[in-house]
Amino acid sequence: MELKGLAKIIVIMLLITLSFFFLLPVLFAIFTSFKHQNEILSTHLTFWPHDPTLFNYKYVLERGAKYFTYYKNSIIITLGGVVITTILSAMSGYAFAKLPFKGRDLIMLLVLYVVTFPLAAVIIPIYIMEYNLNILNTNIGLILPNVMTVLPFSVFIMRGVFMGIPKELEESAEIDGCGIFRTWLNIMLPNARNGLALVMIFSFYNIWGEYMLGKTLATEDSAMPISVALTLVKGENWNFGVLGAVIVLAIMPPILMFIIFQKHLVKGLMQGAVKG
Amino acid sequence: MMKMPTREQARKIWGIIFVLPTFLFIFLFMVYPLIYSFYISLSDYNFVYDVAPKFVGLKNYFKAFADPTFIVSMKNTFCFAGLFFVLVMVISFLIALLLYYCNHFSWFFRTSIFIPIVIPISLVCILFSWMFAENFGIVNYFLSDVLHLPQWAHAWLTDPKTAMDIVILVSLWCCIGFETILFLAGLQGISSDLFEAAAVDGATGWRKVFYIILPNLKETYVITGIWAILQGLKVFVQPMVLTQGGPGNATLVMYMHIYNNAFLHFDLGYAAALAFILSVIILFFSILNLKLSSSK
Repeated sequence: MELKGLAKIIVIMLLITLSFFFLLPVLFAIFTSFKHQNEILSTHLTFWPHDPTLFNYKYVLERGAKYFTYYKNSIIITLGGVVITTILSAMSGYAFAKLPFKGRDLIMLLVLYVVTFPLAAVIIPIYIMEYNLNILNTNIGLILPNVMTVLPFSVFIMRGVFMGIPKELEESAEIDGCGIFRTWLNIMLPNARNGLALVMIFSFYNIWGEYMLGKTLATEDSAMPISVALTLVKGENWNFGVLGAVIVLAIMPPILMFIIFQKHLVKGLMQGAVKG
Repeated sequence: MMKMPTREQARKIWGIIFVLPTFLFIFLFMVYPLIYSFYISLSDYNFVYDVAPKFVGLKNYFKAFADPTFIVSMKNTFCFAGLFFVLVMVISFLIALLLYYCNHFSWFFRTSIFIPIVIPISLVCILFSWMFAENFGIVNYFLSDVLHLPQWAHAWLTDPKTAMDIVILVSLWCCIGFETILFLAGLQGISSDLFEAAAVDGATGWRKVFYIILPNLKETYVITGIWAILQGLKVFVQPMVLTQGGPGNATLVMYMHIYNNAFLHFDLGYAAALAFILSVIILFFSILNLKLSSSK
């Protein structure tokens, strides 16, 4: 689809404005993190830092301990969640796609149905359950429910991916004498790389930024992930420069991952969307 | 003498083995809590004082509809969800159209529009609450000192009239990117044959949009619609971090009311009942969206 002349210019101008609108807050956080405290609070606010400084970052890394804990929690929870989700969805996706067993369709429906329920309806029993098991305020206590929130969609994706792999591959593996498990490991998985990447990326972002579970299941400082902990700093410490630095540090991993995997992400989403 | 399982039998067995962990997860963290939650909603259960829930029947559900705060939260939630749904669908679709027709710099445009999605919503809200702060927020500064329009500077987040608008704005900033990508995928799925046929029939510009594009995006509506509905009705983070439900109850949404009852007042029975009412509402609109999208 090509546009001519004026229409093209208008479209590009609109897109530039929109991009600006979406990028502005991010840029603002980044620039603020490089400003001195007095420049930030002065009555004459500026966008660009006039006197760039690494003071804020030094402050954070020195007072490190607290922020480091939050960061560490986020990383453990997210990585743990991603690994478990990927493995489980790769297994179940394959089962739903290729292995006939009793009640398969029923369970698939159940998995999808579960997505529509608001977390609020189940968060209370989960809280009670974890309280009784003494895993509140622990990393594992957050990993498990987080896996739950991303698992249904991931299973759905992997199922679609496996369904797209031609039967011939399976049959030739069978002829070569592979058992089901070997088939899965050595033939199916390598062909499902796109789907696996999508699942990993999808669960990474959802778990990294997850707020509701983190806020209710981790009330102690030592267990909080960064997405929750930073919101608490809001009231107590209006040291914007530091806040900016912390925010930038917290959003850097997701953004970097995004820029690296951008092609896969967009392609994967589009594949998933079109197949429905 | 034991027979070696046939390939067919082996598949069935492995099938169950492969699905078991997932099934366990879903059961443990979804099905069981849902059932238990329903049971709690039918009881009096104060987490701090009571040892166990005490069955009282539908008392909590009746209490909900007599609770003025709940009614306010329902109004707020519908207000938010309605506006959010319409805005996100329309704007995302229009942006997707723009991206579809523009082949230059597409990497840059797509990246910038999609970046908000990867940032945790809670952090975005902190950032925005900072930007919209009354006295040192950059928005007010920009309005009064750069554009010389001090009368437009506002107590954005503390004025009941504008608080909800800001919550909606921030939510849009976060969510438009995702819906745009979905719409874009849908657009690219429309085969060019249809466009050629229309061109032969003499359709141009906007008529192309209405007669070709819109009808062929039905599958996309299902996904984008459901996602927008879920994001709208389940909203929690934005009002929680931006305004804590305030000022007063101006931005108190149902999810927040549930949270407050459960974790501030520890009235778990009531909170569970509220949660179920919300889930029924969400289910209703999800099914509605499904029906409308498939019949349109």
